[in-house]
Amino acid sequence: MKVRSISLRLALIYTTAFAVAVAVLGVVMLIATHAALADQFRTRIQAESTALAQEYKIEGLNGVLQAVQERDRTPGALDYGLESPAGAPLAGHLAQAKAPLGWSNYSVRQGDKTEVERLWAVALPDGHRLIVGDDLERVEALDSIVMGGFALALCGIVALGGLGGYWLSLGVQRRFAAMSAVAEAISDGDLRQRMAVRETGDDLDQLGSTVNRMLDRIAALMDSLRQVSNDVAHDLRTPLTRLRQRLEAALASPDSDARRTFEASLDDLDAILQTFAALLRIAQIEGGARRAGFRQVDLSEIAALVVESFAPSAEEGGRALLIEEVGPAPIDGDRELLTQMLVNLVENGLNHTPVGATVRVIVAGGAAPSLTVVDNGPGAPAQEYAKLFDRFYRLEHSRSTPGSGLGLSLVAAVAKLHGAQVSLYDAAPGLGARVSFP
Amino acid sequence: MKLLVVEDDAAVGEHLVRSLKEAGHTVDHAANGRDGLMLAGGESYDVILLDRMLPGVDGMTILRTLRSSSVRTPILIVTSLDGIDDRVEGLEAGGDDYLVKPFAFAELLARVNALARRPPSQGAPTVLQVGDLRVDILKRAVTRGGNRIEIQPREFQLLDYLMRHTGRVVTRTMLLAAVWNFHFDPKTNIVETHISRLRGKINRGSDPELIHTVRGAGYCLREPE
Repeated sequence: MKVRSISLRLALIYTTAFAVAVAVLGVVMLIATHAALADQFRTRIQAESTALAQEYKIEGLNGVLQAVQERDRTPGALDYGLESPAGAPLAGHLAQAKAPLGWSNYSVRQGDKTEVERLWAVALPDGHRLIVGDDLERVEALDSIVMGGFALALCGIVALGGLGGYWLSLGVQRRFAAMSAVAEAISDGDLRQRMAVRETGDDLDQLGSTVNRMLDRIAALMDSLRQVSNDVAHDLRTPLTRLRQRLEAALASPDSDARRTFEASLDDLDAILQTFAALLRIAQIEGGARRAGFRQVDLSEIAALVVESFAPSAEEGGRALLIEEVGPAPIDGDRELLTQMLVNLVENGLNHTPVGATVRVIVAGGAAPSLTVVDNGPGAPAQEYAKLFDRFYRLEHSRSTPGSGLGLSLVAAVAKLHGAQVSLYDAAPGLGARVSFP
Repeated sequence: MKLLVVEDDAAVGEHLVRSLKEAGHTVDHAANGRDGLMLAGGESYDVILLDRMLPGVDGMTILRTLRSSSVRTPILIVTSLDGIDDRVEGLEAGGDDYLVKPFAFAELLARVNALARRPPSQGAPTVLQVGDLRVDILKRAVTRGGNRIEIQPREFQLLDYLMRHTGRVVTRTMLLAAVWNFHFDPKTNIVETHISRLRGKINRGSDPELIHTVRGAGYCLREPE
């Protein structure tokens, strides 16, 4: 028989093992008590025989004869017999047994059943033979009492074990069935289902909460994926439509400049691909896989590289890009992502400020390393701060400046990957963005 | 130049082969990994363009097989996987350069040319010269027509890279990666700004232009005609 339920199978195995142990114990007990009883049985017969032989020494043959006759009649006592040296029975009903000297068995028919007696025969000094015996049934009866007791215990154990195991397995099975039902519901597409976890915190509860954590993570990833696909669908539709319209218009008017159309279309396509790449990158960062590649990096080194690289372009655009740093600021992180994060913050500052503005990059080291990019431009309304990190969100007045609305989303993603807090503040005038590392 | 294109997508493969032929190269095309491995192992090519994801034997396997059988042909990995890990894996397996789809053909051509004429790594020259422009790598000194020119470290790196690729087109992406170690594309025109500053410094007075802009592709440093 194949038992499908693990708990029931365990209960069965456990009960069987326990029953076998009890049976072994029973056999050992039986052997031991049997040996002890048999020993006691023999000792009693031999003691009686010795007492009678003693009687012979004191009282002579007549004394023994009298004692044998007397004792043989007493109910519940041992059985006796006395033979003459010639073998003639003198007294006691064992006198007919013709027992040899030493130990021997003697069968007596009583009605329809045969009783076996164990006999001990000794020769008295004058040649008379004295026989003392007892019914073996006394020992056997005790054997069967012990055996019966153990058999009863065994039955009880098997019954209790079986029932208890079944009852226990029902409980566990119910919990497994509940988990299985939740898993079924999830695989049918309902990702909000969670395993029931009780207060006890036992193995199944721990398994349940591990599975729940896994499901939370999967749900978060799914959400992020759904978000990305929605964003792609939503935000790529506009430039793709523009591209389509441009090509349609060019096709409709035969004298249009094909070259210029192609160039403009390629620019559109590049912009689309860039948006696409940015989205994928954000999704990749949010996936968290890059955390495995963290090394020690110096924020001030990164800041110096970015400021040095962007200062000439800023200058050409009529803005100043400056750095304020106070010594090294080492953290564990991804150099490339941190660089890109700072580049995005700096570009944000440069692109959303009027000519003549100053963008400052401030690096703080020590116990609380941070990167701050602050400009003295028009800033942003405080109630918009949180939304600025959403994908594709752009302030009303900045819709005319180039940009995808993904820059700060990437900043947020990189900061989150590094366990850093990113916050915007009013620099009065201007906007400050600070990334504080743990 | 003799090139091998290992690309399973029929449309992309054909387009690549035709465009490379138009650019004056001899091109073989393998549409799956097994053919690619056979051709790459048998023939002698100047550059192999290897798609990373192929049916049958995949690109990374081909790469490792070729490198372990001491085929030293420069290999450009062309792929749609642009994770850092993918890039590192590709280069560590013996790839010489890595180009992420979609790409501009000019970018591909520039990289193929850069790979084909890459000088052997040992015994790199310490002094580079193009026309009357001279760059001493060890002394970090730049002179034009014997006159000393002071340039900043980043501009020096830029010039150094352009000089090492004299006569070949280098793209914005290649410069961003080589000079700034940026593997992403900033919106700001930092390459253009640095190139224009560098030009301003090395073209004093009426010196002929050395750094030429190649429309739609990038830049090329070459001797004036």
